[in-house]
Amino acid sequence: MKDFFKKRAPRDSVLPYAFSRAGTIGLHMVSGVMAGFLIGYWLDKWLGTSPWLKLVFFVLGVAGGFRNVYLDAKILLKEQDAKNVGDTETKG
Amino acid sequence: MAGGLVHPLLISTKLGMDEAVIGGQTVEFKHIFYTWFAIGILSVLGLVVKRRLKMVPTGAQNVLEVMVDGLESFIINIMGESGRRYVPFLCCLFVYILCMNLMGLVPGFDAPTANLNTTAAMAVLVFLYYNFLGLKSWGPKYIKHFSGPMPALVPLMLPIEIISHLARPLSLMLRLFGNIRGEELILVLFFSLAPLFATLPVYFLFGLAKMLQAFIFFLLTMLYIRGALEHAH
Repeated sequence: MKDFFKKRAPRDSVLPYAFSRAGTIGLHMVSGVMAGFLIGYWLDKWLGTSPWLKLVFFVLGVAGGFRNVYLDAKILLKEQDAKNVGDTETKG
Repeated sequence: MAGGLVHPLLISTKLGMDEAVIGGQTVEFKHIFYTWFAIGILSVLGLVVKRRLKMVPTGAQNVLEVMVDGLESFIINIMGESGRRYVPFLCCLFVYILCMNLMGLVPGFDAPTANLNTTAAMAVLVFLYYNFLGLKSWGPKYIKHFSGPMPALVPLMLPIEIISHLARPLSLMLRLFGNIRGEELILVLFFSLAPLFATLPVYFLFGLAKMLQAFIFFLLTMLYIRGALEHAH
């Protein structure tokens, strides 16, 4: 049990940690689209401008979803870089 | 249960707690009953362990110490030394979700996280909490987290950023709910096909999956708090 948590440090690319990071990326993209579409849907209902705001916020939602995935990828990349630096330090 | 699947045995049904009348309206009460049960289990466990703390831990104290210690070192590994303030909140979230998830594997119990209301409440709490922390530490400058890197692109980036932030509680709540509900449905389905013979093997798999889901919720909360506290971009 001790190892189960301890080994999940970001610098070690341990499978459960990597698995949970990778598993979240898919839904991050989808939920951006959903959030955008729901906002557009409610605004349309409220303002009676169907279907224009739906379309606009749908596109914005796609962009927002990509933004979330981009942030995820950036964090993963940063951790990978930190790990590589640590590796070379220990080797050299 | 959805899809016409009936849970074979539930203590909430035996106790008549499946539904409750609040303000003249009949509402579903099952998940709240089991949530209270989880809170009760954790409180009693905490009180019992607290009453006989020892320098050399044994039994339950050992398990809890290993868990809290491991989570704490993990949080500090990722968030740095300033993350120590958020250890109680994050640990509480993990242990609470883990307890609720694993309740679904106990015969007679249902997982409260298999109901969208439970996960939505926690996701909204996380959303409000990390935005509150960002506002508290940055003040009005917190808007920089939403305005993107270039001043010319602010009108475009602001809605995109707001939507991508709103997508976070949505994905948190849907992920936990979907996974746990799916597992509960599969268990009930397998139980109706071949009681015990079919359900026991999947217990191991689902135990791991439920642990992983609790860990993912905890991990994402931690990353969101870290994102709200550090410099924008």
